[in-house]
Amino acid sequence: MKQVLIALLVTGALYSLPVQSTEVANIENVNNGGVASLRGITELDTTRKADPMKRVEKDRSPIDRDYVYQPPLIPHQTRHYEVSLNANKCLSCHSWKYAGEMGATKISVTHYQSREGQVLSDVSPRRYFCLQCHVTQADAAPLVENEFKRVDSLR
Amino acid sequence: MKLVSNFWRKLCKPSNAAVGVVIGMGFVGGILFWGAFNTGMEATNSEAFCASCHEPIVNEIKETIHYSNRSGVRAICSDCHVPHNWADKIVRKVQASKEVFAFVMGNISTEEKFYARRKHLALREWQRMKENDSQECRNCHDFDFMDFSEQGQRSVKQHSTALASGEKTCVDCHKGIAHQLPDMSDVPGWQ
Amino acid sequence: MKLTRRALIKANAAASAAALAGVNLSVSATNLIASSDETKIKWDKAPCRFCGTGCSVLVGTQDGRVVATQGDPEAPVNKGLNCVKGYFLSKIMYGKDRLTTPLLRMKNGQYDKDGDFAPVSWDQAFDVMADKWKAALKAKGATSVGMFGSGQWTVMEGYAASKLMKAGFRSNNIDPNARHCMASAVGGFMRTFGIDEPMGCYDDFEHADAFVLWGSNMAEMHPILWTRLTDRRLSHPHVRVSVLSTFKHRSFELADNEIVFTPQTDLAIANYIANYIIETDAVNWEFVNKHTHFKRATTDIGYGLRNEHPMQKAAANPNSGKMHPMTFEEYKASVAEYSVEKVSQLSGVSEEKLITLAKLYADPKTKVMSLWTMGMNQHTRGVWMNSLVYNIHLLVGKISQPGNSPFSLTGQPSACGTAREVGTFSHRLPADLVVTKKEHRDIAEKIWKLPEGTIPAKPGFHAVEQHRRLKDGDMNAYWVMCNNNMQAAPNLMEEGLPGYRNPENFIVCSDPYPTVTAQAADLILPTAMWVEKEGAYGNAERRTQAWYQQVKPIEGAKSDLWQLLEFSKRFNIEDVWPEDLLASMPEYRGKTVYDVLYRNQQVDAFPLSEAQELNDDARDQGFYVQKGLFEEYAAFGRGHGHDLAPYDRYHQERGLRWPVVNGKETQWRFAEGSDPYVEKGTGFQFYGKPDNKANIIFAPYEQPPEVPNEEYDLWLCTGRVLEHWHSGTMTRRVPELYRAVPDALCYIHPEDAAKRNLRRGDEVLIESVRGEVRCRVETRGRNRPPEGLVFVPWFDARVLINKVTLDATDPLSKQTDFKKCAVKISKV
Repeated sequence: MKQVLIALLVTGALYSLPVQSTEVANIENVNNGGVASLRGITELDTTRKADPMKRVEKDRSPIDRDYVYQPPLIPHQTRHYEVSLNANKCLSCHSWKYAGEMGATKISVTHYQSREGQVLSDVSPRRYFCLQCHVTQADAAPLVENEFKRVDSLR
Repeated sequence: MKLVSNFWRKLCKPSNAAVGVVIGMGFVGGILFWGAFNTGMEATNSEAFCASCHEPIVNEIKETIHYSNRSGVRAICSDCHVPHNWADKIVRKVQASKEVFAFVMGNISTEEKFYARRKHLALREWQRMKENDSQECRNCHDFDFMDFSEQGQRSVKQHSTALASGEKTCVDCHKGIAHQLPDMSDVPGWQ
Repeated sequence: MKLTRRALIKANAAASAAALAGVNLSVSATNLIASSDETKIKWDKAPCRFCGTGCSVLVGTQDGRVVATQGDPEAPVNKGLNCVKGYFLSKIMYGKDRLTTPLLRMKNGQYDKDGDFAPVSWDQAFDVMADKWKAALKAKGATSVGMFGSGQWTVMEGYAASKLMKAGFRSNNIDPNARHCMASAVGGFMRTFGIDEPMGCYDDFEHADAFVLWGSNMAEMHPILWTRLTDRRLSHPHVRVSVLSTFKHRSFELADNEIVFTPQTDLAIANYIANYIIETDAVNWEFVNKHTHFKRATTDIGYGLRNEHPMQKAAANPNSGKMHPMTFEEYKASVAEYSVEKVSQLSGVSEEKLITLAKLYADPKTKVMSLWTMGMNQHTRGVWMNSLVYNIHLLVGKISQPGNSPFSLTGQPSACGTAREVGTFSHRLPADLVVTKKEHRDIAEKIWKLPEGTIPAKPGFHAVEQHRRLKDGDMNAYWVMCNNNMQAAPNLMEEGLPGYRNPENFIVCSDPYPTVTAQAADLILPTAMWVEKEGAYGNAERRTQAWYQQVKPIEGAKSDLWQLLEFSKRFNIEDVWPEDLLASMPEYRGKTVYDVLYRNQQVDAFPLSEAQELNDDARDQGFYVQKGLFEEYAAFGRGHGHDLAPYDRYHQERGLRWPVVNGKETQWRFAEGSDPYVEKGTGFQFYGKPDNKANIIFAPYEQPPEVPNEEYDLWLCTGRVLEHWHSGTMTRRVPELYRAVPDALCYIHPEDAAKRNLRRGDEVLIESVRGEVRCRVETRGRNRPPEGLVFVPWFDARVLINKVTLDATDPLSKQTDFKKCAVKISKV
């Protein structure tokens, strides 16, 4: 049986063999036609080996932005930094009150405006959950190159 | 010579023998007591014991770096919450007996009650640690042996200034490192 | 003094907002970024390409390329904010692997199912495609062709597609991917109110005293609505937030009442709340007596599996949506079974938490907004569940008023606008009409100037059924457009993939990028996207928003609309209509399908001169095709509760919420004073129903189809993440978003991990009886499942978690339950 199976594998013709319980169903003619997706060229019925787990980049200098309203990326790890109804760890360094002392980037003035555009004395509650716009970065090469181009004045 | 024989006689009398037994038993008992006391102290320091009352908070540590990290060195509740120095430890244990009473009375018997009281409990613990200059942190994290070249920029900046000068102590910045935080409004350094 | 200062701040704020906006000046350019005149950026508005929130963004273009985007400060939805995905919109079109030519599987210069993809011209592509369609139509008739569309199609694309399928090919086999996300919500609306889509609007966020999330992780999936909810909660301390889910997620960060329940027991929790309202005498009798009926759902209706599946055979009333009248007393007795003790035990939620939750609804002074998305819709009892939540609101009369709002959120940018309102479902027509009713088909045929009997009466194959029919060889020519269903649909290994690769079938995939769907298809068509074309979307609060084309498509790519229209030119009406139909309108003889459907003096009524200079679709057709399609479509709803404004107005506004009557949008439907369709003196009219009364529909708790057992001992729940949109086709090509969340991980409780000897980062095999995948475990991420449940997002083509999921659906809505199936996990 095993030899038969190997023979079939070698010829690349995996015709439906009777399979047992959890064995994945055989589909005769899976073939990506040479086109790669984000999956790469691994055939769709293959149980693909998992990629290595990426690590979040630790403590680097601020990352350049490509256009003015691009939210700054978080250039450090944030493991167990609580942002909840009770506490906001980000503001302990990035609020105007503490940024100087902590040597952190100040949050933008836009964050002190209400929904109606009124300037407030403290961070606007609508901006409270920092991670909705600001994200950490893993140490990983992009899956696909991106050809976005900055305007000349920012190049 | 008479003295010697007298002593021997006394020793041979049943009442006198009892004294010896008492001394001997006292010695053995002392050992046993000490062992039991110590075992008791250690048992009440175990994570399982803490969890018997504080299960939700004990579970919170599982996501944090004090539970799981690169080198597998980990802290359990008592490493941070029970002083290592003997006299302080005894004082803390006596205080704890009061807390057992509070628990039995049901002060934190439900999640809601616990969350309502959480800030009070946390503030007390932070105050204790501030007063002893974060001694329980320093038992493992000794400032003198920190290699700044291996730390992140942000850490070096704070450690080489505020911590080095003694202006700040560990717990001033490192709050909620093993637990979720209580309501942090009006806690210095938080917004 | 104080007043002056405040006024000054306000004035300053307004000035700075205007400066930020740069948009009031609409099309004309303000120079926000560039420092000199030579580097001017042109700014224009467009709705965000991603979720159903419908944020407006400003798109900055220069030299034919998008160079910047930002939140639109003028837009009422988002007032200048975007989420992280929205802020990176400027990069979604520029992945290096954009498709630029049609690709056909070939061997020796000929199409071959087992061939490799090779570039062909559009002409060759459409020739082969038309041959396959004609062959299928000839061999097996109209049910052998099909199309799978999208809630990300523009309104016009969906409308053109639906018309092509239903009137052109006379096949109702068209369904959108919105079937996977919204069908149960539609079912709930139709059964309870008789008309689709929420009665309330986003203004409810600023009025509610309590928010209840019934299976919605808004913090990640509707981030901008979450900012509005957060704003309300943090600036008004009396406001309370309850979050219900089967695992803890980011929305729990704001929760006052955290409720993690056993999967499927939300049915019991909803009935308990109704019971509590009745027991505590909190029923709003005036409202209930005047505006509602009590009904009972037919039970034991199966699980939408294949008919021959044992569970389907075991059901007493498979797929039955019948409702039976009942009295209040009967209703009361039915919910009485759901006591706090019993429901607490069933759901695993403490009695205290359940009571706290019920009190929000029962207290007449608390305005409650209930919100839900996939937790409730992707549910084998999703339609029931939607109605159970309406029951609660109706019992206390908390509906159609600012802040009192049962609100079904949509997932996709135009799930409402295109999938639901246009009716691209296999059983629907525009404006809530259905193919099964003769009078509805008559209306459509009249508007479309087609002979009576053109549209078939039998609903076509819905999403999950389409994969089954492909596998069985019943449907042989199939076009997938604007979605990635090989990755998105359940049970990939047993249904989707065998269906696509069935040698009898010819599969076409239109997409800007090569997806896994493309890899399984036979012809790939390169597609223009977002601001490479003009279009309109409709968001979750009934807001229709239009945008202009802002850049030329990438060389070689064409819009979905162009593809649909060009393909329709390949068919003579004689190819697709039988003689009796032709005989009733002989003037159509000899014409192409394109002529009959799109050159009917309606779709082509507006000249090219009305269109913008940059509008490739209009230029290619020679008339303002988007406006023509929109206006013909709008004829369905005007005067029938679905009124849309004239098309041009949508280019001036940041969207309008329908019904738009006398130029005015509607915020709260069914309420007197707000909704122009409600008569004076009635208070409320649920005019979707003939007697203006809504239904309170009792339905019981019933078991899910698959529960963990000794071998497959864990629940699997799938879903999305904040940083990636759906299958990641666009967002994973943006380096910043990719790096933010590079891979799909298996979120697992630390104890469950320890039991399996797993630690964070370990590679695991996740198996169900249907398939297996490998990924890595996360024990301390943003999602914190309870013991016994794992969560794996589906954005990752390298994992393809839908190899494992079960294709059980709600038997009424046919929407898949992606939230519950049984798996086992082992270390690799």
